Amino acid sequence: MTEFTLNGETIESSAPVETPLLWVIREELGLTGTKFGCGAAQCGACTVIVDGVATFSCVTPVDSVAGAEVTTIEGLSPDGDHPLQRAWIAEQVPQCGYCQSGQIMRAAALLAETPRPSPEEIRDVMSANLCRCGTYSRIFRAVERASEEV
Amino acid sequence: MAAMASLTRRTLLKTGGGLILAVAADGAVSVASAQDAAPTSGAAWIRIEPSGTIRILFPSTEMGQGSSTALPLILAEEMDANWEDVVVEQLDADDRRFGNPAFGNLLYTAGSSGVYGYFDALRQAGANARALLIDIAAERLAVDPSELTTTPSLVVHGASDRQIPYGTLAQGDVPVTRAAPAPLKPRSAFRLIGGDVPRRDIPGKSTGTEIYAIDVRLPGMLYAMVQRAPVEGETVSAMETGAAEAVPGLVQVVPLPDGVAVVAETIWAAQQARDLLDITWTETSAARSWDDETTLADYAAAAEDLGADAAIWRAAGDAAAAIDGAEQTVAATYLSDYAYHAQIEPMAVVARVDADGAEVWAGTQTQTWTSRTVQDVLDLPPEQVRLHMMSMGGSFGRRTARMQEYVRDALLCAQATGQPVKVTWTREDDLRHGSFRPAAAQHMRAGLDGEGRLLGWQHRVGTPSVIAHFNPTRWAQVEPQDVISMLGSEGRFYAIDDFAAEHVMTERRARVIPWRGIGASYTAFAAEAFMDELAEAAGRDPFDYRMDLVADDPRAVALLERVRAMAAWDRPRQDTALGLSFAGYGDSRAAGVAEVALDRESGRITVPRFWAAVDAGLIVSPVNARSQIEGGIVFGVSSALLERVTIRGGEVQQENFYDYEILRADALPEIEIDLADMDAPPAPVGEAGTPMVAAAVANGFHALTGVRLRHMPFTPERVLAALA
Repeated sequence: MTEFTLNGETIESSAPVETPLLWVIREELGLTGTKFGCGAAQCGACTVIVDGVATFSCVTPVDSVAGAEVTTIEGLSPDGDHPLQRAWIAEQVPQCGYCQSGQIMRAAALLAETPRPSPEEIRDVMSANLCRCGTYSRIFRAVERASEEV
Repeated sequence: MAAMASLTRRTLLKTGGGLILAVAADGAVSVASAQDAAPTSGAAWIRIEPSGTIRILFPSTEMGQGSSTALPLILAEEMDANWEDVVVEQLDADDRRFGNPAFGNLLYTAGSSGVYGYFDALRQAGANARALLIDIAAERLAVDPSELTTTPSLVVHGASDRQIPYGTLAQGDVPVTRAAPAPLKPRSAFRLIGGDVPRRDIPGKSTGTEIYAIDVRLPGMLYAMVQRAPVEGETVSAMETGAAEAVPGLVQVVPLPDGVAVVAETIWAAQQARDLLDITWTETSAARSWDDETTLADYAAAAEDLGADAAIWRAAGDAAAAIDGAEQTVAATYLSDYAYHAQIEPMAVVARVDADGAEVWAGTQTQTWTSRTVQDVLDLPPEQVRLHMMSMGGSFGRRTARMQEYVRDALLCAQATGQPVKVTWTREDDLRHGSFRPAAAQHMRAGLDGEGRLLGWQHRVGTPSVIAHFNPTRWAQVEPQDVISMLGSEGRFYAIDDFAAEHVMTERRARVIPWRGIGASYTAFAAEAFMDELAEAAGRDPFDYRMDLVADDPRAVALLERVRAMAAWDRPRQDTALGLSFAGYGDSRAAGVAEVALDRESGRITVPRFWAAVDAGLIVSPVNARSQIEGGIVFGVSSALLERVTIRGGEVQQENFYDYEILRADALPEIEIDLADMDAPPAPVGEAGTPMVAAAVANGFHALTGVRLRHMPFTPERVLAALA
């Protein structure tokens, strides 16, 4: 049994302790906004925020987040109107959209740490997440737009 | 006017639940009863509800290209529907009444064909629906239809200052059931087309609420992981399942035609148990001899053997004679490796098998072939197949096959366990058991006269038939013309009198399937890199040389001139150089210039900037079209620099993004796109950006170093070898 905070609520997971946090979030708890892409910390589709740090949930055993605060795309804002989410819509970023929860969560961790990142910082940090549709330039623009609001 | 007056008056229809409009292939619109709407799916093209809600069918599937907004929007435009009133409904059936005219009315989303395939029919349908609403209003108001007009979702009688909402017209008696063909709007009257209406799917994709097949969860659902044979054609010869069966939560081990599925109560249990299977595979498959390096060498030998049989893809005049009689002959062979789609959502599907048939939640590019897969696997009639076409986490051709083995596996697991089952492929499954863009060897020959003018062109493409493998049903209809293998070799935008594009159909030595840009993703590499070699042989500037060949095509001339100005082609660069390419996809023309930089020590090429001038005819959504074209360019850069699947002993050697790298944000070029605003039929957008890229990079590399790169991808090792 692993206890942690997910999007502000206390959670008890009965999954085996080595189960990747990603599967606990998606399949045990039913929050499917966080995606499976590679299982190897390569693509970032599974990015969630653990105690303020953008984290690959696909390689994070659930017992390693015991007592931690985990935030997923569902918990980023009450009504889906976080400045990043509004910027994502304003810049019409997503194509297939599958990687975008992870992109937004990584950007959210960046802006929480560095509210006014330089273009180089944005490019550097966002390079951890893959987008096969090639929306990178719109991601950059959306992060910049949101950074002017937070 | 005459058209509006010539109504067909039939029985009065009472509509309590709204107005259902059927659309024929030519855009003819008629009032349908609820029973007439597609029986298997409940689908109809248009449903106008008393509340004013207008439901418009989306007949394609959505993989990120945006046609789930664009197609309904085209109909709404001509119907003069208020876009806020429109609800988009996914077609969840292989119902040919809604088929793609570009694919013989199959339900098939590919070839960037959604907008151009459906465009005329949707416009005509919208115009006819509007005329029908006007006719109904004319009866109700007892005025002549010619006195009526519309504003969004309202029929207006200006003379009496009366108006009736579309929703109100959809209730009560419908005195007319069909309008004669109505005129289309002039472009100047468009409110939605060309107007950058936001995509409908973007809010859900920005909040984590869009549901993909991998996200589907059903009560009692089990999870399956699949172990497939490492080499095509092998099967299980012996298996030890004891360790797997000891995993808590394991439900059943299910044999598959080419492997084994492990079904468990959780995905983690399934994954662990799958990894504990101890399987001995047969070792008899001829595919064990497959090796990508010998394959390419064999393909090159075949392409270079001018006596080898070839299927003519396009021919004009007598290319061989023109080349042989020319003062100067130029020849070169270009190679390209297998490439993987790398869509971020791996294959995943949920299936349920019950007394009523089968129900499948899948993201695929085709209701038709997904339905056929279900019918074939379970021997079901079409009406017992219930589909849910889910949003796809990328596809790029990956989810198009005639027989979809991931769907098959979920059905077999659901049948064996009697419970709904979700099959999820890991990234390693998706790559090792992927289907790929075929490896190709292309032999190019041309003859020039004493002035360097191009006299004859021969393009021999040594690659297997893709269609024969991924869709044998289709191959039986089109053999030997393989558009997937050959597209882009037509030279269609150049005036070359003696021309031949030939398919040297080689043996298939990997699973192959369409890949973004299909044949053009490699044929345009060879054609446009070779065009630069001809310009060099002629002592001409690459721009000027091409301009002579497009002189009679003002749209091509305009693009080349535009991209020349955008890139400041004539301005010398320090440390970088520019390369030009002119390709496109289908009827779309795209001219691109890559700025190429090189780290001579590591051999690593970068592309700091890319300029593109694109003419895809009329553009329904410029903001989305730019996104698609930019994405296509990124795909092309990634493929040109990084992407390579290798095969040894019949096994794919790569397993994840650490050994099959795709372009990351830090290597993104600064991309500038000029999108022509044309009064011309719409043309492909989704794949228009990709084909030009590889040759632009290779040509820029030559401008920088004087060395030709003829083997894609241009990996550091190959670059260093070429420079040595």
